[in-house]
Amino acid sequence: MKAKVWDPFVRVFHWTLAAGFAANALVTNPEKDLHHLIGYGIAALLGLRVLWGLMGPRYARFSSFPPDPAAAMGQMADVVTGRRRVHLGHTPLGALMIYNLLLTLLVVVGSGHAMTTLAFWGIRWVKELHEVAVTWAEISVAVHVVAVIWESRRTGVNLPRAMVTGYKEVPDEALTAE
Amino acid sequence: MNISIPRPTRTIVLAGLIAVQVLCAAFFLWDAADDYAEGAADAEGLHLEVETLATLSLILAIGLEAGLLVRLIRREAHMIRGLSAAARALHEIIDEYFAVWKLTPAEQDVATFLIKGADIAEIARLRGSAEGTVKAHLNAIYRKAGVSGRPALISLLIEDLMTEPLLKREAGGRSG
Repeated sequence: MKAKVWDPFVRVFHWTLAAGFAANALVTNPEKDLHHLIGYGIAALLGLRVLWGLMGPRYARFSSFPPDPAAAMGQMADVVTGRRRVHLGHTPLGALMIYNLLLTLLVVVGSGHAMTTLAFWGIRWVKELHEVAVTWAEISVAVHVVAVIWESRRTGVNLPRAMVTGYKEVPDEALTAE
Repeated sequence: MNISIPRPTRTIVLAGLIAVQVLCAAFFLWDAADDYAEGAADAEGLHLEVETLATLSLILAIGLEAGLLVRLIRREAHMIRGLSAAARALHEIIDEYFAVWKLTPAEQDVATFLIKGADIAEIARLRGSAEGTVKAHLNAIYRKAGVSGRPALISLLIEDLMTEPLLKREAGGRSG
């Protein structure tokens, strides 16, 4: 079964955000304009994603992937019993990671912008907040990548490819859930 | 009778606690590494050793809790409803056998559905896997259990339930 799940905005958002974060975390000089420019670009992306989560198509909406601990435990149960249930939209654990990353990156861009303002320039806790949030985001991204590979192998659905093409190809025998 | 039943909320709370402890452990680990980098010689007394030991204990505890969480989640997934004392006792026996036979998590799940009376097609549907996969799991289960098929497997469990009085079993487990 082939299901269209990710609209073009979600896909472009995902890969642009990933590229922007990687560039600023690993490559650009924090003192330079390019770092700041990419940071504001990420801020704009986050803002658009929040709007899209309120008014976008079905699987892009926050209401289709609310934070749901009970559903997350259900996904854990699938993992520890080897049951194969495919979620068409975001999986419950994936949803928790999305909220974590969105909030963390909002802190990163917020504290990063603050460091350039007169009111907060040179203040130690702002700088530390920025650094701690970046470290947390890096750990989260690493967990996200490992989890995506793990879930792709477990469920037989190539998730990275779905984020490129927009389609999830679900094995016929798998259970499906929203 | 009030028996403690693992409820979804309890597993959620446990998972949340483990997540918090993982964060704490990561922080302490980072802190200890920082202290080592600054030079252990400067530390007064046994501070660094105690700090390291405490962090390692915390990590060990998290590992044990994670094992407990996996067992709880698996047990919840295997239980359907109506947890009488007898059903609980049967579950304990089943779990013990699964451990002795060294069934994989997937085989345990298949065996549980099998004992509950599901056929191959139903098990495949319940687990979202192909029938061929379920058949392979069943062969592995029968081979590891050393039985010829489902009837033999079930009589093994029932026999155990009948020959060993439940209360004595419980008391023996506590004192031993």
